[in-house]
Amino acid sequence: MTDVDRDIYREEILEHYRHPQNFGAVKKKTHSASASNPLCGDNITLELRVKAGKVEDVGFTGAGCALSTASASLFTEWLRGKSLKQIGKIKDEQLFRLIEVPITPVRHQCVLLPLHALKRSLPQIT
Amino acid sequence: MNVNSLRKQFPILVKHRKLAYLDNAATSQKPKVVIDAMDAFYRHENAPVHRSVYKLAANATEKYEHVRDQTRGFINAKHREEIVFTAGTTASINTVVNGIARSLKKGDRILLTEMEHHSMIVPWQALAKWRGFKIDFAPLASDGRLDMAAFKRILSKRTKFVGITHISNVLGTVNPVREIIRRAHRVGALVLVDAAQSAAHMPLDVRLLDCDFLVFSGHKIYGPNGVGVLYGKLPLLKRLSPFIYGGHMIEKVAKEGTTYAEPPARFEGGTQPVAEVIGLGAAITFLQKFGWKSIRKHEEELTAYALAALGSVSGLMLLGPRNAKDRAPIFSFAIPGVHPHDGSALLDREGIAVRGGHHCTQILHESFPLAGSMRASLGLYNTKEEIDRLVQALHKVQKKFHD
Repeated sequence: MTDVDRDIYREEILEHYRHPQNFGAVKKKTHSASASNPLCGDNITLELRVKAGKVEDVGFTGAGCALSTASASLFTEWLRGKSLKQIGKIKDEQLFRLIEVPITPVRHQCVLLPLHALKRSLPQIT
Repeated sequence: MNVNSLRKQFPILVKHRKLAYLDNAATSQKPKVVIDAMDAFYRHENAPVHRSVYKLAANATEKYEHVRDQTRGFINAKHREEIVFTAGTTASINTVVNGIARSLKKGDRILLTEMEHHSMIVPWQALAKWRGFKIDFAPLASDGRLDMAAFKRILSKRTKFVGITHISNVLGTVNPVREIIRRAHRVGALVLVDAAQSAAHMPLDVRLLDCDFLVFSGHKIYGPNGVGVLYGKLPLLKRLSPFIYGGHMIEKVAKEGTTYAEPPARFEGGTQPVAEVIGLGAAITFLQKFGWKSIRKHEEELTAYALAALGSVSGLMLLGPRNAKDRAPIFSFAIPGVHPHDGSALLDREGIAVRGGHHCTQILHESFPLAGSMRASLGLYNTKEEIDRLVQALHKVQKKFHD
């Protein structure tokens, strides 16, 4: 990777921040939960509609930095269509893989914020 | 004041020559004299204080108690016993709040302001819930100063305690504490002044202020972490219950019960942070050597310069008063569309250290409303050139996010 590719403020991330995927409420949601980062006050609410063991629709609302917003955008894309069984196996690394750039420890919580919300919304399986 | 030669006295500024350290409201850097004083104590003089009779311990005790005299002079307290060493501002506030709370009744009112640090709000909230006190918050005026008309309206005979920050750690606002104290005393309320920020920027005179309690930390006035000061008027300290129970703070311990030592020992339970207190003493000497006159002059110039420079950045929302004489060199700002963490991470790439977040003042940020802000806070070693670099870097941040 070149330095530009490894930049957490590269254009793809900023694009997700400006125009996040799946931003908004979910109709007939079956699960939802919020999580916040006490360090910066960022918060995210994740909503899911789970049907027949699969994520049929997913969305998020809230306010966060470029990293947490991009992470939520990428992560909700990933979640769509996944089975609860697949979701049950999710690890932190999955979110770092989606972001694709190395994240320094001080910013880990930004990337993981959507996962915290997911774990709260599906406490039985995650 | 020659800032270049002053900067050479701070080893960290010499090591990171290109770093513009603008996070002094969080913690200041330490001059060599402070580091050396603590190093020398550990190398040659380390011993417990107020316990043992051998020479090394007696010498350590003498040095520790000398800093109490020095601190008394630093804030112009009347008695040396009015100076309590704590772990920091938070520990000082918790000691006062928990002590005072014992003499309060259900329904008594506590008056704070919307610009208080969490360390003033949270201890009271925890006790209010348990003991049934009511907390009022005086709001801000639109110019970033305290809304004094509202403050006067809220203050009543039922107000038993007023907690007020001398200088806001976000807005830089210098509060009219003398007037606040006078008015609070008229209704019979006690006043605690949070001087965590002001202690680094202006002379403190507790007798002139007539405050009942005043607290600050060592690490924000170029001294070490882990040490702070609690000043209280002696008759009040004599009546105040201890907060940290254990060794040293007792008069006599028996199976039937314990009687407590007089102040300040009553509030210094446990083994004292001797090296830190000695470091604090070195920091006070350092500040006094420069003198408030030259520190104030330099910082007032920086304040006026930074206000104008930050004001020139289009789209930047500066919090706090616009008038240099109403504020200290602490500047929080927001750029719409740029999260403070992203902004401060990008400034870091330009070698500029600022804080991004809510700076332990979520209630204040809600009032704007903002989730957070970026904060550049200056100290006596900062320069106009560093402010220029900050402004240039902010233009770059805006370009990155808005192009």
